[in-house]
Amino acid sequence: MKENVILSFEDLDIRFTLRGQVLNAIRGISLDVYKGESLAIVGESGSGKSVLAKSSMGLLDANGTIAGGHIWYDDKDLAAFKTEKQWLSVRGSQIAMVMQDPMTSLNPLKTVGAQIEEAVRLHQGLRGAEAKQAAVQALADVGISDPETRYKQYPHEFSGGMRQRVVIAIAMACRPKILICDEPTTALDVTIQAQILELIRDLQKKLELTTIYITHDLGVVANVADRIAVMYAGDIVEVGGCDEVFYDPRHPYTWALLSSLPQLGVKGQDLYSIKGTPPNLFYEVKGDAFAPRNPWALKIDFFKRPPYFDVTDTHRARTWLLDPRAPKVEPPEHIRQLRERGGVGPYA
Amino acid sequence: MGLFHKTADALGDKLNEKLAWDLDEAAVMADDAVAFSLAGFRPEDAERGGYSNYSYWRATLRAFFRNKTAVFFLALMGVTLLFTFIQPLLPNQKDPLLVHYGEWGLPLNNVPPNDEFWFGTNSIGQDLWSRIWAGTRTSLFIGFSVAVVEAVVGILAGVLWGYVRKLDFFFTELYNVLDNIPQTLLLILISYIMKPGVDTIIFALSLTGWLGMARFIRNQIIIIRDRDYNLASRCLGVPTGRIIFRNLLPYLVSVITMRMALAIPNAIGSEVFVTYIGIGLPVSIPSLGNLIQTGRSLMQMAVLRYQLIFPVAVLAVITISFYIIGNSFADAADPKNHVN
Amino acid sequence: MPETREKLLQVQDLTVTFGSRRHPFTAVDRVSFDIYKGETFGLVGESGSGKTTIGRAIIRVNPVAGGTIRYKGEVISGRVSRATDRRIIRNIQMVFQDPMASLNERAKVDYIVSEGLYSIHKHMPEAERKERVAKALSDVGLLPEFASRFPHEFSGGQRQRIGIARALIMEPEFIVADEPISALDVSIRAQVLNLMSQLQKERGLTYLFIAHDLSVVRFISDRIGVIYRGQLMELAESEQLFAHPLHPYTRALLSAIPMPDPIREREKKLIVYDPSQHGYTPADPPLWEELEPGHFVRGSQRELDEYRKMLL
Repeated sequence: MKENVILSFEDLDIRFTLRGQVLNAIRGISLDVYKGESLAIVGESGSGKSVLAKSSMGLLDANGTIAGGHIWYDDKDLAAFKTEKQWLSVRGSQIAMVMQDPMTSLNPLKTVGAQIEEAVRLHQGLRGAEAKQAAVQALADVGISDPETRYKQYPHEFSGGMRQRVVIAIAMACRPKILICDEPTTALDVTIQAQILELIRDLQKKLELTTIYITHDLGVVANVADRIAVMYAGDIVEVGGCDEVFYDPRHPYTWALLSSLPQLGVKGQDLYSIKGTPPNLFYEVKGDAFAPRNPWALKIDFFKRPPYFDVTDTHRARTWLLDPRAPKVEPPEHIRQLRERGGVGPYA
Repeated sequence: MGLFHKTADALGDKLNEKLAWDLDEAAVMADDAVAFSLAGFRPEDAERGGYSNYSYWRATLRAFFRNKTAVFFLALMGVTLLFTFIQPLLPNQKDPLLVHYGEWGLPLNNVPPNDEFWFGTNSIGQDLWSRIWAGTRTSLFIGFSVAVVEAVVGILAGVLWGYVRKLDFFFTELYNVLDNIPQTLLLILISYIMKPGVDTIIFALSLTGWLGMARFIRNQIIIIRDRDYNLASRCLGVPTGRIIFRNLLPYLVSVITMRMALAIPNAIGSEVFVTYIGIGLPVSIPSLGNLIQTGRSLMQMAVLRYQLIFPVAVLAVITISFYIIGNSFADAADPKNHVN
Repeated sequence: MPETREKLLQVQDLTVTFGSRRHPFTAVDRVSFDIYKGETFGLVGESGSGKTTIGRAIIRVNPVAGGTIRYKGEVISGRVSRATDRRIIRNIQMVFQDPMASLNERAKVDYIVSEGLYSIHKHMPEAERKERVAKALSDVGLLPEFASRFPHEFSGGQRQRIGIARALIMEPEFIVADEPISALDVSIRAQVLNLMSQLQKERGLTYLFIAHDLSVVRFISDRIGVIYRGQLMELAESEQLFAHPLHPYTRALLSAIPMPDPIREREKKLIVYDPSQHGYTPADPPLWEELEPGHFVRGSQRELDEYRKMLL
C-alpha cells in the first residue's frame, strides 16, 4: 500500500442477488483514502455510495457479496474476511460509522451515558468512575451542554440534532481511525445540519481522524471535504480535490449535479435539470452508464466504457470528453461562473 | 418459473437496445470521427431508462413458486382436494353408509385393511376408505363455509370498525360483549336449540368466528388509515367506500389470505372438537370429526388403531398444507419480498 | 402594490391543537397571512414548527381549533356545506412530501391519476378519462404509456410528478405543496421545481410551498413566511427577506444555507438562534408589525425599534 493511504479499494465489484436476479451495485471501483483527510462520496440514491462504505465494515446485507477486488486496510484485505470475528477487529475500533437516522443507532431503553460507557469500556479499557468520567467528557466533546445531566437521560429526551451528536460521541468513544458518516444530516433541519457538519469537521482536525462523508447533496460538502468522489451507477466518474471538483469539474454528470442545485438558481429561470432516471443495474451497463441522460454524450459512450483521464495529479474523470479526439464542448452556464469564481479561468 | 425469468430477460434486452438507439456499434467504433461526435439527446429515452418491469401479481406468484416446500404442499393439497371430489365417481367405490355383511350374514366389522377394504371397516362394518373421503368432503365444506363467512363478515366489520371513527365505540363494546361469552357454552347451547347437522355446525362456528378476523382487520386498518396516499385520496374527494376497496383492502391481501388459510383448518379442528364433546354431527353424516372421535375411543386396542390413524393422517395433510401454503403466500404477497 | 391584488387565501389567527383536551399541544398558534392569486407563498421552518399542520388545515385534514381560513372570501375552516366542500376539493389540491408514501402501491398509475375524476365527473366516458390521464401525464413530462404501470417502477422524481399529475387533473387554482422535493435526491429536485414553475406560468396556479430549506424557497417563492414553533417570525417578499433579514431566526436560517462554493463556505459564519435571547416579559410582549411595506416581523417594542434602525 502506498504511504499515507489508510484505506484502499482496488477493482472492487459488489453484487446483490435479489430473488434470482443479480444487481451489480459496485462495478470495478478503485479509490485510495488518505490518512487524516476528509473524503466526500457524492451520488444519487442507488449509485452504490452506501454500499461502498458498508463494504469496508462488513455490513453488506446478507444477499450482497464482494465478487472481485480488494479492500486494503492496515495490510489486511478486508474483502477476504469471512467471519464475524475478523470484522469485529475492525468495526468500531478501527472504522466507525454514523448513520442517517440517529434513532436507529441508539438503544431507546438505555440512558445515553450507559451507551457511551459501553463503548468506552470496550475500546478504551476504562472501568468504574474513570469510564463514567470519559463518557461525560465524550458528551462534552461533541458540544452537548450540561453533560453531567444529559448523561442520565434517555435518547427520546434529546432533539434530532442532539441525538446525532450522541451517536457521534459513541462512535468517537471507540477511538476509530476512520469515521464514515452516511448522510449524517439528511434527517436534520438546515440549521442543525450546519452545526453537525461543523462538529465533525472540528473533530477530524483535532484528532487527525480520517472521515468519509456519504451524501447525495454536493451542496453540503463544500465546507467539509478535502476531496470529493462523484459516483454514478456503481462507478466513480470523477474524483479530485474539493476546489478542483467545484471549480473545475470535468464529467458531465458532475456538471449536471452542480448546476441543478437550487442555491445557484435564479427566480423565474429554469434550473438546470438532469432528465430521466439512473440505469437499472439489474441489466449489464454497456459503455458510459450516464450516456442516455447526457446531453453531451458522444456516440462512443454507448459502446465503450471510458477510462480515467487525468486532469491533474489529484484529479481524474471517467469521460470520453477528455480524450484528445473528442470535440470541445461548452459546459453549462453555472459551471463557467463557478470556474471564474474559483480563479480557474475560462474553460479551455 | 423459468418462464418468468425469460420474459424479464427478454424485456431487459429490449430496453438496452432501445437505449443504444439506432446506433450501429461496428460503424461507430470503426471511425474515430464518428465515435467522438455528439450523439444528440432525446429526453424521452432518458425518461424511459431505469425500469424494472414489475407487476405485483407476477412478482407475488414468482416469489411463491420459488418456495419449493410451498409448491410441494400446494401440489399435495391439490391432489387431495381433487381426489376428494372425484372419489365417488371412480369405479368400485363403496357407499360410505352401507353396512357390509359376510357370508354368514354377520356384519364385517373391524376388518383390518385388506384388498377389499383398503382402510378396513369400522365397528358396524362400514367401509372406512369411502367414509374417510366422504368425511373429508363434509369437513372441507364446513371449513370453507365458515372461512368465507368469517372473511366476509369479519372484513366488513373490521374495516368499518377501523376506518369509520364514529363506529369505533360501538364495535369495541360489541366485541367485548361477544368475546366474553365462552365459545364452548355457545356451541352447547346451539346444539340443544337446533337439530344437529352440517348447517348447525356452520352456523355455530360462524357466530363468533368473525370476531378475531374483525379485530385483526381493524388493527391493520388503523395502521395504514392515515398514510399519505389515503390523505391524498381524501383530498381528491374519493368516497369512503372506494378508499376501502381501492386503498385499504389491497394492502391487506397478504395478511387476509394468511388468516383465511388458517381459518379453514381451524374450522375443521373445531368440528372435531365439537364432535368430541358429543354435540357434533351424527354418525350418519361422516366427517373427519366423528371419524376421529370413533377412532379415538378405540385407541387402546392396538389392532384397531388404523381407525384413528387414517382420518388423522388426512386431517394432518389438510391442516399442514393450508398452513404452509397460507404462510408462503402471505410472504410472497408482501412487496418487501419482491425485487424492486 | 400588493393591496390591489386579489387575495385568494386568507388565514387569520389560525390555531391548531393536538392531543387530549386536558393536555393540549398547540402546533400552530394564531398565525395570519394572505396568499395572493398567482403567487407562490413559501412557508419555511424546521420540523415540528407547524408548517405542515398549516397546509393540512387548509386542505381540511387537520381540524382547526381557532381562527378562520377563507378561500376567495368564503370561510372553508370548520363545518362547510356540501356545495362548498365540492368546490374546495376541485380548487385546492395538495402535493405530498414523500413520493414513496403518497401513491397507492397497489393501483396502476392510470387509476391513481384519475382518482379525482371519478368523484367529480361520475359518468365520464372511459375514452375521455383515458385521454385526460394521458394529457395529465404528458403535462408533467411523463410518457402516456406509463399509465399501465405500478408506482413501484418509478424513481422518486417520477413518482412525485405522478403526484402532481393527480392534483392537476382536477384543474385546481391553488396547490398546497408540502415539502415536495425534500425527500428527493438533489439531482432530481430541479426537475420537480422546474415543472412546478412552468405549470404556474401556464395555468396561473397559486402555490403554498412548504419547505425547511430557504435556498429552495427563495428560488420558487414570491413571498416567504418564516415559522418557528407554531408562530410566524417574519414575512416578506423573497428578495426583501434575503436582503434585509431582521429576525434572528431568519438570519440563523440564512447563515446555514450550504453553498456549493468552497471559498465562500470557508469564510462562512454560522449564526445559532436561541429563543430565550429575546427576553420577552408580560410588560414587553412580542408584537407582529409591518416595518416596511409587505415586511412583517415579530418582536417586542424594543426589538422592533432595533429592526427599524437596521432597515435605514
